[in-house]
Amino acid sequence: MTFGTMLTTMAEGMLKTILLFVLTLVGSLPLGMLVVFLKKSKFKPVAWLTDIYIAIMRGTPLMLQLLVWYFGPYYLFGMSIRGYKFPALLIGFIMNYAAYFAEIYRSGIDSMPVGQYEAAEILGYTKLQTFMRIILPQVIKRILPSVTNEVITLVKDTSLASALAYAEVFSLAKQISASQTSFLPFVIAGVFYFVANYVVAWIMNRIEKSMQYYK
Amino acid sequence: MKKFIAIGLTVLTLAMLLTGCNTKKGDKVFKHGFDLDYPPYSYIDDNGEVGGFDVELCKAVCEYNGWTYEAVPFNWDAKDAELNAGNCDCIWSGFTRNGREDDYTWSMSYSDNTQMIMVPDGSDIVTLEDLAGKKVGVQTATSAYDLLQDSEEGQGELCATFDSLEIYDTYTIAFNDLQAGGIDAIAIDVTSGNFLMSSNAGYHFLDEVLGSEQYAIGFRKGDTELCEQVNTALQALVDNGTYDAIGQKYPDIYEFLCLKPADAQ
Repeated sequence: MTFGTMLTTMAEGMLKTILLFVLTLVGSLPLGMLVVFLKKSKFKPVAWLTDIYIAIMRGTPLMLQLLVWYFGPYYLFGMSIRGYKFPALLIGFIMNYAAYFAEIYRSGIDSMPVGQYEAAEILGYTKLQTFMRIILPQVIKRILPSVTNEVITLVKDTSLASALAYAEVFSLAKQISASQTSFLPFVIAGVFYFVANYVVAWIMNRIEKSMQYYK
Repeated sequence: MKKFIAIGLTVLTLAMLLTGCNTKKGDKVFKHGFDLDYPPYSYIDDNGEVGGFDVELCKAVCEYNGWTYEAVPFNWDAKDAELNAGNCDCIWSGFTRNGREDDYTWSMSYSDNTQMIMVPDGSDIVTLEDLAGKKVGVQTATSAYDLLQDSEEGQGELCATFDSLEIYDTYTIAFNDLQAGGIDAIAIDVTSGNFLMSSNAGYHFLDEVLGSEQYAIGFRKGDTELCEQVNTALQALVDNGTYDAIGQKYPDIYEFLCLKPADAQ
């Protein structure tokens, strides 16, 4: 295998990595917000269930969760899981990352002084208006560094998809390395991940800067 | 690349200096590198200990040569890195020599091996041609995988007729997927396949063989002295019946063991 073939094969894997990454973000960022609302629900059973969900998502390995999401329908209900691999991966990643994002959002929301809610109430804002126009913009600004951390972790965590035979870049690196008895594919994979994360960090940095409206 | 090797060697030397202090002189430790997830050659046995045909045979070789046995279970994908880094002295884990002849210094072949297609009973797949348009599973970095990737001497053309080749980290997950109906067939070594089928009813091999090859022990290229010592010990163990005795404990692979006593050759 020439270096060029190796590079193009792995670039295809990188596209699959990026696809999984982007779809997970698109799903888990909003879902995380929903989870916070459920966790803060006044109806206690909902809040408790959400706590259990977050505890399980954070307390068990993601690779195990992926296996459960994929094989679960078959072992529990005897359902056919044909063609269900990619959806299972997405559900697994989104559910897991939503739990982490929810906790990050919560840290941001809880850090807002009560005085702001009181002032908004006096000014005649409804609860929804208070949250959307006053609290949320500040929360986003505050939690961005933590979100960046989590997003970068996600780029690397996509390699866990190899557990379900998803041909992302790290599985390909392992396969090519084995068949070519070469360490080079791992170096290439490392460079791919680094570049991807550099771009992520750069974008997040730009967003952070655009939000420094007090400077 | 040379720089990486140089750095690697430096780290390795330091590691050796640090660990070397604990080893007594003249007490050779033989580091057996193997995959812990490759039954029945090397695996965690029912007692939760490292076992398998390769492990027992290696222990017997060590005993014969007066070496101390050391188990070095590794991730199969990292086997070359482990071997080149000196973490283990050999790769001895149902390791196929065919197609890798020039990459390692090889011992004599101690077991035959065949790659087969495993399907559930009642499957409509009967011949290799029937695999066209089907989903086939395989474990990464195995001989079955190499065979399906090789268009010149292997079954690459057959592989091109599949709907998809699903590449798993372990056969355990691939087999789960076969059970659950996520894939239609598994390409697997006959020995590993027999092991899976021995504990799971309802599966069979196709009559047609996918490919065949030999297992041997891979040493670092140029490590002929060690290789010869192991070869001599192996032949002695074959002659005194130890090899056969160990083999009989593993009925799944017994018929494939190919070493014969010297007087019978």
